[in-house]
Amino acid sequence: MNFDGKIIVVTGSSRGIGAAIAKAFASEGATVIVNYVQNASAANGIVTACKEAGGDAIAIQADVTSGEQIQALVDQTLMDFAKIDVVVNNAFKPYTFDPDNRKQFADLDWQDYQGQLDGALFSTYTMCQTVLPALKKRTQGSIINIASDLVARPTIPYHDYTTAKSALIGFSRNLAAELGPLGIRVNCVAPGLVYPTDASRQTKERIKEMIIAQTPMRRIASPEDVTGPVMFLASDWSRFMTGQTLYVDGGLVMK
Amino acid sequence: MELKAGYLPGIKADNVDWQTLTYDRGGQAIDVSVPLLSEEQMKDLSARIKEASQQYLKSLTVSDITATIDAAVARLLDRKDTYRQQSEEYLPLITGYDAEMIRLGLTGYLKNFRQPELRRFIAEDFMNPKILDEFQPLPKGGYGKAYGPDLIAHIWAGNVPGLPLWSLISGLLVKAGNIGKVASAEPLMASWFARLIAEIDPELGKCLAVVWWKGGDVDQEQALLNQADLVVAYGNNDTLQQIRDRTPITTRCLTYSHKVSFGMISRAALDTGKAWEVAHQAAYDIVRYDQQGCYSPHVFFIEQGGAVTPQEFAQFIANELDCFEEKFPRRALTIEEAGDVAAWRQSEEMKSFSEGNAAIMSGASGAWIVAYSEAEEDLVPSGLNRTAKIIAVNQLDDVPARIAPYKAFLQTVGIAGPPEELHRLAGLLGAVGVTRISALEHMTSPEAGWHHDGRFNLLDLVTMTEVERSAETAAEAYSNYVD
Repeated sequence: MNFDGKIIVVTGSSRGIGAAIAKAFASEGATVIVNYVQNASAANGIVTACKEAGGDAIAIQADVTSGEQIQALVDQTLMDFAKIDVVVNNAFKPYTFDPDNRKQFADLDWQDYQGQLDGALFSTYTMCQTVLPALKKRTQGSIINIASDLVARPTIPYHDYTTAKSALIGFSRNLAAELGPLGIRVNCVAPGLVYPTDASRQTKERIKEMIIAQTPMRRIASPEDVTGPVMFLASDWSRFMTGQTLYVDGGLVMK
Repeated sequence: MELKAGYLPGIKADNVDWQTLTYDRGGQAIDVSVPLLSEEQMKDLSARIKEASQQYLKSLTVSDITATIDAAVARLLDRKDTYRQQSEEYLPLITGYDAEMIRLGLTGYLKNFRQPELRRFIAEDFMNPKILDEFQPLPKGGYGKAYGPDLIAHIWAGNVPGLPLWSLISGLLVKAGNIGKVASAEPLMASWFARLIAEIDPELGKCLAVVWWKGGDVDQEQALLNQADLVVAYGNNDTLQQIRDRTPITTRCLTYSHKVSFGMISRAALDTGKAWEVAHQAAYDIVRYDQQGCYSPHVFFIEQGGAVTPQEFAQFIANELDCFEEKFPRRALTIEEAGDVAAWRQSEEMKSFSEGNAAIMSGASGAWIVAYSEAEEDLVPSGLNRTAKIIAVNQLDDVPARIAPYKAFLQTVGIAGPPEELHRLAGLLGAVGVTRISALEHMTSPEAGWHHDGRFNLLDLVTMTEVERSAETAAEAYSNYVD
């Protein structure tokens, strides 16, 4: 897979899955916009890793729940590189996957849902609104939204998080339907539990072993496992696919 | 970043010659300073530890001691504690083991040393634990009290992080003063534990020390051996022979040499529902600390006749090792270790040429190798570092006779099979020298109070002082109430 000359924006890519995606694109020659909100040194570390992997990268700080900051990110990217080929909406509102201490439905208020909807859906909505004029101009582009296999199989009912990710899939399908005629594809990648990431660090061995036992591939995803399907959906190898969700969970969910 | 190993009560750091060991196995180079004592310093240290042991440690009850150890272990289990945090941070860099494996391994291991477990530990060796505190009536008549030595010299191996704690804690439980010599491979954990003990009970902290010398430094070793009342040593047979030869004849020397462990899978465990789970457990035992423990399996004997054939089972194990490589990647090997793995692979490949169904499986990364055979093969140690031999057998009952020639090297057997088979095999295996039988997935985590190599961890350390019945009876004659 060759991404030479391609400009890839990966939101929330200073750590975890986003960082793995950024590095994977860079290793195939891409120029990656490493977006982060807080940890500049981690983001700069990923930029260095991307360059060492053979690609190019810059770090841009932007809170994806802020329309203004996303506009600034897109403006700066277009100013530096004149185009954007791929957007990976990976950032989400911090969420701790701790099955033993999760909130039950009765304990959730609407703000919890709103927070997750803002983190997953509003941020993706805003990014798409902002970046689409540039993609439409070239009638090409691929948008990949990171969902979760919990949407299809709520192994642990993280209500607010999973509901927002479900909305993201519906959002993506509608956008795919509208943008198909313009040559712009929109797909989702839905990983299972990915370990280790900052978000999943609280997940106990017991839960991991339970998921492993039910997973045909008999292990839990690593951040690197998610990169292949993302790159596939970013590339021409999937040029006739849009509105799809690829489950990357070792076969836990089969759809 | 430089860390200091060792723990030397009563000796100023400035008066010690420090050497720097550099580690570069965990992806980031790290220096550790280790103390090198003069012979005179070793002698002085020994004398002080002996005195502290006599004056203070021997005056404590076993309950006092277990409470202090429990408090130290609680801190090592607490992920917010600085000792725990530095263990999680530095042990992976020192040993090269995967950080997650170490984190989980430490918790699983340290749980064995909480107070209830320590009491179990003592009860395992002493019917009446109070015999460590005061004279107790003996079943045969008379009274007895168990005395720990004033000074135990521990010479530790560095194969698995934290392992020195077994013998150090055993020494404390029998109220012995302890000087432990850490291996260069992992000098930190015992040092931290000693410092923790000293923080919790400064007086108890004067009863133990952690020292270092370069393996093979005869003068240093001799200086300690001359002072010890008892020597506990871990290592290969050559090293142990030398230690034993240098130990004064009046000093007891307990040695723990390299062992070979293996697994046995009954056809009853090889149905389509259970086989994967069993393979998962077996692979975990292989992966944990990259087979560096005496209890780590090298070989699995798989019984034919189950729904899942031994060959398919070998494939299951191969896939599980591949999955574990994602979860707990194998550490970077030294040149010697890589050489051992390559030599083992080569020898297995040579054997496989002459055997139709033999197979060698290995991952793309080369981080694991499974060799499968249906031949009547002997028990040969694997190449370590996630290399395992899977041998198909007609029936598990044939295995004990095959392994009998290796009696001196046998230790743990992990068994997956039904109860009647477990107990029948236990009898056959015990007769040929196996000292521990566990479930798969537990081979590398012995339970609290286990008998290491079949010996008594605490009982072997003490001497009994007995007041015989005759003395009691005779004393009666001199009492002031004699009629």
